[in-house]
Amino acid sequence: MLFKFIQFLVFFAAVYIPYLFLNHKWQNRLLLVASCIFYAAWDWRFIFLIFVSITIDYFCGLRIDKSDNDKVRKYFLLLSIFVNLSILGFFKYFNFFIANFSRLINHLGFSIHPQMLNILLPLGISFYTFKTISYTIDVYTEKIKPTRSYRDYALFVSFFPLILAGPIMRAGDLLRQIASPRKVQLEGFYKEGCYLIFWGGFQKFFVADNLAIIANKLFNPSPPYNGIMVLLAAYAFAFQIYCDFAGYSNIARGLGKCMGFDIMVNFNLPYFATNPQDFWNRWHISLSNWLREYLYNPISFSLRRWGVWGVSIALMATFLLCGLWHGAYWNYIIWGGYWGILLISYALLRPLLAKIPNPKKAIFQKVWFFIRVIFFFHVICFGWVIFKAEGNATKAFSMLQSLFCNFHWGRGVDIKYSAMGMISFLWLLGIVEIVQYWKNDPMVVYKSNSILKVCFCILCLYLLLSCGVASEGSFIYFQF
Amino acid sequence: MDVRDKMNGIFREVFNDDTIQIKPETTANDIEGWDSFSHVTLITAIEIRFNIKFSIKEFMSFKSVGDLIRCIERKVVV
Repeated sequence: MLFKFIQFLVFFAAVYIPYLFLNHKWQNRLLLVASCIFYAAWDWRFIFLIFVSITIDYFCGLRIDKSDNDKVRKYFLLLSIFVNLSILGFFKYFNFFIANFSRLINHLGFSIHPQMLNILLPLGISFYTFKTISYTIDVYTEKIKPTRSYRDYALFVSFFPLILAGPIMRAGDLLRQIASPRKVQLEGFYKEGCYLIFWGGFQKFFVADNLAIIANKLFNPSPPYNGIMVLLAAYAFAFQIYCDFAGYSNIARGLGKCMGFDIMVNFNLPYFATNPQDFWNRWHISLSNWLREYLYNPISFSLRRWGVWGVSIALMATFLLCGLWHGAYWNYIIWGGYWGILLISYALLRPLLAKIPNPKKAIFQKVWFFIRVIFFFHVICFGWVIFKAEGNATKAFSMLQSLFCNFHWGRGVDIKYSAMGMISFLWLLGIVEIVQYWKNDPMVVYKSNSILKVCFCILCLYLLLSCGVASEGSFIYFQF
Repeated sequence: MDVRDKMNGIFREVFNDDTIQIKPETTANDIEGWDSFSHVTLITAIEIRFNIKFSIKEFMSFKSVGDLIRCIERKVVV
């Protein structure tokens, strides 16, 4: 993956140097061509699929805006949603639904053996599909005016830093930036962009890839599972998936900054969350915003007369679909259901929780906050055990059971080795995140004095070069 | 009592805070507890009190108290 990343940086440099000398119109044309080449390099066949989606949504957007008849507007909105969901459903969920349907039929005593499709999942399909759906909905609800430029719209959907794993930026934000001339300034953009790429690379190639080795090893043993091993596996995976995805998001933001784009923040110190709502305001922010706006809000609105039940059903439906969005496996749906239950419980218990008095002394307030962070981190980790089970929900439940029923210091060397390994890969990230939280500023290192910044970069480079993983791998979220 | 005063009373009831003083530019960031959970409760309370119904399109377009007031005034006049 590190090698692929270096190849990518060479590709980016080849795009970026001419980009700096072109005017706005030609910059957009260059970015569109570069985005097509970038996507085609992963799999050239699926570039046509993106253009089907782009073309349909572009024309649907224009027709929705042009018509005064609400029936016609609704027709084009539904057409756009139908086409996008059909593409997503066919490539991502067809085999899952067919397999489960035939299992159900066989269970009822009939015998069917359906033909499964041997198809590849187009990279980033869940991300760009959500982006295009939000565009036509926003045009329909008159939040935005549709773009007249097919090229701008095509670039909005296929913009290469964001196409594979988001953030899922809305047209009101990204399309506006594409349509207006951008300034690339050394201070505000170029330097900040380079820092974000560097820090994102460190999160991915030092922290995430090293923790992946530990997490895969700890998740692999066959039952009976040892509770301590499961706990360590959950910790390792929690930071692996976070650094993998947040690293990618930081790289995407950095690339955008270098080109004068302001890409939204996708992660805001999620493991400092103290409740489920807080977590989803910090984790994969672009997806949670999307789910809230286009799923939770319409469902809860239509069930508003049902009071608490309406909110609960809306939350559960949203998070079951959030789980399914991650992949066509039962463990993802169960993971979504787990978060649905947590959020419903939190919504119901919130008035009671608000009555718990906060300690008066500052030191006790900090201790109380620390206890809540640690407690809620473990709640998140339970979810990660289900998430990581990859199609094997039974394994996830056996592992979770061992946390309560089989918690002992067996196979001490492995435990010690894994724990030490995790600490050695996480200490720098931990320090940086604590300072970021304390100063309430994710760019605190970038804004620090030059000596500190140079020392920090040298340390990161040293760690990357001495312990960075140069194996073949990918970003976890590319598969979604 | 105009729409804004009536709305202020609803806000105080829903968010259980007698100090709330809404303005057209007030958004969810300005009122503690105004999140996606309580937003539905607020909208339902407004619908009942003013005897009106919002469409889903209107619901999705509310960004501030001003948006809400304008929409209610349109419906109450009609």
